[in-house]
Amino acid sequence: MRLAWVRIAALADKELRHIMRDVRVLYLALAMPLVMLLIFGFGVSFDVEHVPLAVVDLDDSQASRGVRRRLLSGERFDDGGSFGDVDGALAAVVRGEAMLVVAFERGFARDLARGREPGVQLLIDGSDNSTATQARLWAEQSLVAAIKAVGRDGNVALPLEVRPFLQFNPSGRSAVFLVPGIAAYVLSLVAVLLTALTVAREWEEGSMLQLFVTPVRHVEIVVGKLLPYLGLGLLAVLLVVAAGGLIFQVPFRGSPLALSMLALLFLVGMLGQGLLVSVLTKNQMVATQVATMSSMLPSLLLSGFVFPIESMPRVVQFVTYALPARYFVSGLRGVLLRGNGFAELWAEMLCLLAFGTLVLALAVLRFHRSRP
Amino acid sequence: MIRYWFMGVAVARKEVQQTRRDRRMMALLLVAPLLQLALFGYALRFEVQDVPTRVVDLDGSVDSRRVSQQVLADTTLREAGRSYALGEALEALAQGDVEAVLLFLPGFGRDLLRGRTAHLQVIVDGSDPNRANLAAYTVAAHGAQEGGGARPIRSRVLFNPGLVTAHYMVPGVCAMLLLLITTIVSAMGLARERERGTLEQIMVTPVPPLLLMCGKIAPFAVVGLFDFALAMVVGHWGVGVPLRASWLLLVLATLLYLICTLSVGLWISTVSRTQQQAFMGGILFMMPAALLSGIMTPVRSMPPWLEPFTRLNPLRHYAELLRAALLRGASWSDLQPSLLWLAGLGAVMCLFASLRFRAQKG
Repeated sequence: MRLAWVRIAALADKELRHIMRDVRVLYLALAMPLVMLLIFGFGVSFDVEHVPLAVVDLDDSQASRGVRRRLLSGERFDDGGSFGDVDGALAAVVRGEAMLVVAFERGFARDLARGREPGVQLLIDGSDNSTATQARLWAEQSLVAAIKAVGRDGNVALPLEVRPFLQFNPSGRSAVFLVPGIAAYVLSLVAVLLTALTVAREWEEGSMLQLFVTPVRHVEIVVGKLLPYLGLGLLAVLLVVAAGGLIFQVPFRGSPLALSMLALLFLVGMLGQGLLVSVLTKNQMVATQVATMSSMLPSLLLSGFVFPIESMPRVVQFVTYALPARYFVSGLRGVLLRGNGFAELWAEMLCLLAFGTLVLALAVLRFHRSRP
Repeated sequence: MIRYWFMGVAVARKEVQQTRRDRRMMALLLVAPLLQLALFGYALRFEVQDVPTRVVDLDGSVDSRRVSQQVLADTTLREAGRSYALGEALEALAQGDVEAVLLFLPGFGRDLLRGRTAHLQVIVDGSDPNRANLAAYTVAAHGAQEGGGARPIRSRVLFNPGLVTAHYMVPGVCAMLLLLITTIVSAMGLARERERGTLEQIMVTPVPPLLLMCGKIAPFAVVGLFDFALAMVVGHWGVGVPLRASWLLLVLATLLYLICTLSVGLWISTVSRTQQQAFMGGILFMMPAALLSGIMTPVRSMPPWLEPFTRLNPLRHYAELLRAALLRGASWSDLQPSLLWLAGLGAVMCLFASLRFRAQKG
């Protein structure tokens, strides 16, 4: 048993030297996640702000001008121009210069003063459906508020008032939501690529055969090879989480230990997947492609990173249960935002553990078979 | 002149045969588009539905029950049990078992009955702000209808009245698809020749470098156009995306875009020595280009300093153009800026790529 550890340590040491000698690997493992976090953290956002709003004012009264001024006073809506008729405003929408059109009908001020329902229409460009849905809600609300403030009866009591509150993310910033997803995306790509590349290279260069003639067992080869990358991957997780907190103000409310455990299990799974890919293909070229496709696409599209899993059709939801990225993304959100610990996340951890064990076992088995 | 034409055709034919023989490449060219379209057209949605909701009814009156039933009758929220203490519901929220809590405080029914403003609290898990906001405001919309009051604002959604995600995504997916296929495949095709040393053999033939380049990328342009047509057919008849633009406009825009993507592929192939490097180069270009193009999240939400950079991204212009043309039925004059940007970017990228290609041959 002691000897086994010595052999693993020797292998890990060898792998570490490989890494230290190849600056590209270090760059891939540490710098790329950070750079991508920065680009995506700034660039990927659902926050609906500065929506261009065009106004068609057929009334041209003090009241309609007042409502318009109120609507455009915040950060949410930008001036998308004033138009004499609805057709002109619609042309601006077609050109993409305006996304919302508020049309005041003739007699708006008169109806408002008499307490009748004032004639306002709201037209929304639905071509970007996610922005449109949110912009519509904001516009309807702000419009009602602005009309109330401008009209005489400023304080009509509503029969029922709904008070929404966003728990865990009161200001509703999407960076808080997206950064955990970005972390999973970047890490899965890096982890799978790292092992796929280095192990496949050893097959190609024939140095794997040299390893086989040594008295080292297959399990030991696998573990020894993975250990240094596991260390690198954990370092990358640490960097990404720290940068997310410092730059994007993503909170850290849960237990650090649970986070490390999640990251460890996820990395084992992804490294194992990379290893399996490289044992199966034994060719750097093919390994790179398969590794990228099998890690990048699922973690980007099916992990709940951007698209909510609950909205997918049942069949596709079923597929997502087989993806480690799904558990890592939801676990990471749990720890960072909802303050979860082991008590809440044990199911995610078990799934990650199962995936990691399965992939590693398959990789070791393939090692056995591919021995010449 | 005719001689040059034959040379170009010969190079193109050689390229077609080589690609056809590579099974993996063929799979990438044909299967990838269908897979992506199916995924985006069918599986991925921004629509919010089935938000598990815990009801905490501390009032227990007829009205509180009626209002909670009305709110939950929508497909947006789905009842996930009842709690009799707020603490218990908040715990479920923290554990991720439920995503929303409807809280009726004591006196809700009495206030409603006496004509005072009754308050309904909605506590939503804000981890996904998009989903949270929509859930909260669905409830708010119900609140506004209470008491028989009509909705104060008449609003109408144009061009995509059902607010279907697929209609928004298909143009973007089409742009990504063409990028994946034309950039990565052409970059790898050239890098493979360099790896095997066959590029040198071609270089010593009397074919001029520019012609060689055109002959090599022409088949990929054809494949790109084919995949574009495939995307449009699947998008229109399979997913129901409207086609409100002229075909001439679409094809012209696609050709301009393909010039950009093929030039990038060519350029990548000139700076990489192996196929693997070419593939990685393609991926490294593709990831930020796709995420920072407005395909998945709107450009408008990006910080102001980032916006000018996205203008240099042909994906952004092509996706915007397709969206405007297909969904909003935009005309030539509406799309002039995007077309000009694409043409300009295409010219610059093509120039850079061909300069590099020539320098390498010399």
